[in-house]
Amino acid sequence: MSQGLDHTATPRGDNTIEAIAKVVAFERGLAVLEPEPTGSCNGCMSAALCGTKTGNTSRLLAKRFTLANSAGLSIGDRVVVGLGGGSLLRASVTAYAIPLLTMLVAMVTIDQMGGGETRTMVGAVAGLGLGIVIARLSATHLANRGDLSPRFIRRAYGPGPGESCHTDLG
Amino acid sequence: MHDLLLLIVGAALVNNVVLARFLGLCSFMGVTTKQETAVGMSLATTFVITVSCMGDWAVEKYLLEPYDVGFLRTVTFILVIAAAVQFTELTVRKVSPTLFKTLGIYLPLITTNCAVLGLALLLVEGKMSFVNATLFGFASALGYSLVMVIFAGLRERIALASVPRLFAGPPVGFITASLLALAFMGFSGMATN
Repeated sequence: MSQGLDHTATPRGDNTIEAIAKVVAFERGLAVLEPEPTGSCNGCMSAALCGTKTGNTSRLLAKRFTLANSAGLSIGDRVVVGLGGGSLLRASVTAYAIPLLTMLVAMVTIDQMGGGETRTMVGAVAGLGLGIVIARLSATHLANRGDLSPRFIRRAYGPGPGESCHTDLG
Repeated sequence: MHDLLLLIVGAALVNNVVLARFLGLCSFMGVTTKQETAVGMSLATTFVITVSCMGDWAVEKYLLEPYDVGFLRTVTFILVIAAAVQFTELTVRKVSPTLFKTLGIYLPLITTNCAVLGLALLLVEGKMSFVNATLFGFASALGYSLVMVIFAGLRERIALASVPRLFAGPPVGFITASLLALAFMGFSGMATN
């Protein structure tokens, strides 16, 4: 569970990615939110894998996050939360690019030194492990700065009278 | 080193996985409406393709080839890809639960990306060494990422343009993709792979 930082301001960066989440509980004064599936979710071949189709509880629980309840939310409220586009890019680079680059550098270096196939494979795995350690340190740093936490933007309105759904984010 | 560079250029630009081999078209059209999501998906796919290419190469070399069970290749490779996706997901989850919440959405989608399986089958066909196979997978994934980001940028601009009603949406997207493919044909003959 992420830290319940008071990120009520608009996320940094111009291209904010917005999503709707629902307040499902309160823990130590923090609102626990569960993201709602988007319109296209449950429609693809992988719906059963990500938990939207089957209601895979562990996956849905893993996606829960906390927000400081500065807006006076109550259970069942739907809110619009946002994540800066830059945050997504930083998170992607941390999680995927760093381990990949260390792995490739280790592999090519050992190969160029004439290490042989087995040594190259071991070197690649070691490089991947090193990259994962660096990624962990970098992710902790980003999380402590609050760069990876979604921020409250506004309350989302429910469907109007006679409407079966409401796609407007608020 | 020269050969490795030629391999990378050939896989990323000349024989681009999306525009020349026509693999991974589902995510190419589906996840390119916004540049940020395209970048997230591309990096996740790059990681999975590279790791699964390494795994597939090892399975081919130490299991399928010695025991002469090549007919099990497709099934085995699908298993390796699913394992690579699970490994990636578990790693991201353990490295940082916050990262997993931010990026976890893309990972299950990669399992059904035909580019991952297609590239694994291509590296077997090419009878590559371990380093070449890994770099081939990485470079192909880089080409995939490049095209995804370019196409997402173009689609963001098209969304703001006034397009005739009959062409709005996917039709103009397909026309743009075909023009992009023509542009990539300019790389033909630069490096063969």
